[in-house]
Amino acid sequence: MRLYLLSHWTYSILDMHHIKFIIVKSLIVLFFTFASITIFAQDKGVFSGGFETNVNMFLRDSSINAINTPQYDHQLVGGEAWLNLNYSIHGYTIGARFDMYQNSNLRNPTGSYSGSGIGQWFISKELNNLEVSAGYLYDQIGSGFIFRAFETRPLFIDNALYGARLKYNFSDTWHLMGFMGKQKNAFDTYSGNLKGIRAEGFLSFGNEDSPVTLAPGIGFVNKTLSDEYMNEIIDVVRTYQEVDKFIPKYNTYAATIYNTLSYKSLNLYTEFALKSDDTFFNPYIEKTELVGNNTLGKLMSATGSVAFVSASFAKGGLGITAEMKRTENFSFRVDPNLTLLKGLINYLTPINRQNTYRLTARYNPAALDISEMAYSLDLRYKFNKSWSANINLSDIKTIEGDQLFQEIFTEVMYKHKRKWQLTTGIQAVKYNQEIYETKAEVPLVKTLVPYADFLYKFNSRKSLRIEAQYMNTDQDYGSWLFGLAEFNIAPKWSFEASGMYNIDPKKTNAKGALEKTLYPTLGIVFFNKSQRYSLRYVKQVEGVVCSGGICRLEPAFSGMRFTMNTIF
Amino acid sequence: MLKLNKYFVFASILSLASCNEIPVVIGDVSLPDTDRVVLLEELTGASCPNCPKGTAAVEAILDNYPDKVAAIAIHGDFLSDPIKGRSKYDFRNPKAKDLENWFKPFLGKPCATVNRIDLNDPDQRYATAVTGKWQSMVETELNKPHQVSLLMETNYNPSNRALEIDITVIPIADINGSFSISVFLTESHIIDAQINGSNILDDFEHNHVLRDMPTKFDGDLLGTDFKRGQSFKKKYIYTLPDSGDGLWKPENMEVVAAVHKSGANDREVLQAINKKILE
Repeated sequence: MRLYLLSHWTYSILDMHHIKFIIVKSLIVLFFTFASITIFAQDKGVFSGGFETNVNMFLRDSSINAINTPQYDHQLVGGEAWLNLNYSIHGYTIGARFDMYQNSNLRNPTGSYSGSGIGQWFISKELNNLEVSAGYLYDQIGSGFIFRAFETRPLFIDNALYGARLKYNFSDTWHLMGFMGKQKNAFDTYSGNLKGIRAEGFLSFGNEDSPVTLAPGIGFVNKTLSDEYMNEIIDVVRTYQEVDKFIPKYNTYAATIYNTLSYKSLNLYTEFALKSDDTFFNPYIEKTELVGNNTLGKLMSATGSVAFVSASFAKGGLGITAEMKRTENFSFRVDPNLTLLKGLINYLTPINRQNTYRLTARYNPAALDISEMAYSLDLRYKFNKSWSANINLSDIKTIEGDQLFQEIFTEVMYKHKRKWQLTTGIQAVKYNQEIYETKAEVPLVKTLVPYADFLYKFNSRKSLRIEAQYMNTDQDYGSWLFGLAEFNIAPKWSFEASGMYNIDPKKTNAKGALEKTLYPTLGIVFFNKSQRYSLRYVKQVEGVVCSGGICRLEPAFSGMRFTMNTIF
Repeated sequence: MLKLNKYFVFASILSLASCNEIPVVIGDVSLPDTDRVVLLEELTGASCPNCPKGTAAVEAILDNYPDKVAAIAIHGDFLSDPIKGRSKYDFRNPKAKDLENWFKPFLGKPCATVNRIDLNDPDQRYATAVTGKWQSMVETELNKPHQVSLLMETNYNPSNRALEIDITVIPIADINGSFSISVFLTESHIIDAQINGSNILDDFEHNHVLRDMPTKFDGDLLGTDFKRGQSFKKKYIYTLPDSGDGLWKPENMEVVAAVHKSGANDREVLQAINKKILE
């Protein structure tokens, strides 16, 4: 263990690749040492892991604009795979993950990326009250406003911290955690470094039957830009006119304080985060140009803040959740010149409903980091064993009051014994495509989506699920119809057929025509214990793909898609 | 014990936050004394909301480094389609599309290559989308040794719209590898629609628009292993189309030529030159 701690403190003066090689080699040696101990001592550790793969076969279809990427033009097949293995014994846990991307469109949806290797490894040891970890680590402080190291594979986000972490448990309820390292960038790391501290605890007051509990926390993060990034910022800023110039700082400090208060059926989570002067790119601010018209977007330096409140109450069949979030200048990246989903240090929780039906999820807002004022209210009521209802309201504006997103979502569910159930409702959305998709002079997209989801159980094994949705809108692509039929034979098989039909098109296709286009999907899913295999023929319209409030524009897809995942 | 540890945490946070750093210095633009001319190829498009930012960056660079930069605006494919109901012209052409595809992958538009230097970035091989970096990249290229001289004569005949281009390439150092020449015809002062953020600018001035290339999009082979004092001559005759739509105006057009490496991955430009068709 001492070897690893020493190597952490001295690695910066050694060649990174050599260090990686030594560490991976050492991990393998350590792994077999543990395995030997296991065999000889008859002391069983715990092995766990998982495997996931996606394989796409690309079939050109110019009518839906599924063209002009290397995959459609000549590569034809691309995919990804991840295999992770963890082993725990005697307070030690070691793990490694092999990542593979071949002709993959995950990193850049309009490009092709190939690369493979050890995507993550870590080792940790519990020593009484102390937990020591090193390698590629995932963690977060509070809701993630100032720091979240996480992985979201469908969006090629892997923001693991490559470094070391100490966690000291003062008691069963209070701990202090500190970390230092760099952020992962595919099979490399970004330069510049991150340091942070988190202290969390738990307190209980009042009588034992209905105590008031508090779960307070405080966190602090320091980002230091590398010379490389600072020089790039200076190169950019010195091209600015005097009015836009500023002196960038190497260090940014962010702090957050949060607490969960619980009393009987009431829960109240509050968090407030602040960020010191930080250089970030503001795409909405005017930049003075030396020649010609002024343009939008420039690097700037400013302080930032996020305030978040979430209150929930549940009693009997009633459940109420109300949330509020205010965000101002809270773009926080390892390098401000990075764009899209790259180099994000933090995570801004979305507070709108995360929809799952195809058309109700079509216009979904990404959490904005420059200026956002968001509210949501969710009411649920279970009338009896058969009937329940849900109303959800979300409203997101800029701090200046410009409408970004609004959703009114209703749902009624009826369960008829165990034979069938019907879920139905209507959703109304207003979506600012100018801001979320950077489209010029387009009106606010207004949609109305009635939907129904019917599940019929023929017997304990066989069931049929049917979805029907209609989106009425005069904007963007126009109105849509969506239908899905899914026949399940438990526990092994599921067959599905679905179609998304542009019933009233408003957008011309690649041929310049307003054509009603069908986007069909045919699929088969096979389950074998913890293994899940799926094979689908897919035609998918261009759209915004979101995962947990982080979104990106995805081009249309046409082809076959195979996925497989398992855990063990 | 618990209380003491809490104080320790707060003290640590305060001590870190109170650290002061020495402010960095933002220098001024410097004009290197060199005979080098840098090729700046911008991937842009009329339907690209952020591209006016790229246009402004290019114009600022041309202003800061007069006669040291030859600029080309490539309206290839992505976000380059005319704006429905607003654009008068379609700037796309096969050579522009080929060039754009040749520079893939890139993260988005606007982006630009500076002397086609390999950025060693799997997301953006030759063209970087950070407009603010373009100037420092130009400066870096201008500070490199001057290895090739490039001379160009043009002769335009208004009666038949024939344009003769005579190019002489003279290496002033021994350089190994194979080399090509690319010739571009660009047009400026075209007033047409351009998306700017969430607005459409109907009277945007499009400059350095790539109209066509008398050479292949990836250049015509010049030779291999340059020796100092050698010279290579190339002649092109191109007839400007009489489109009748207000484009292909010789008084707004420029010829740009560039000598570059023609390896599979090494496309570095050694020298560029630009000349107006009608001086």
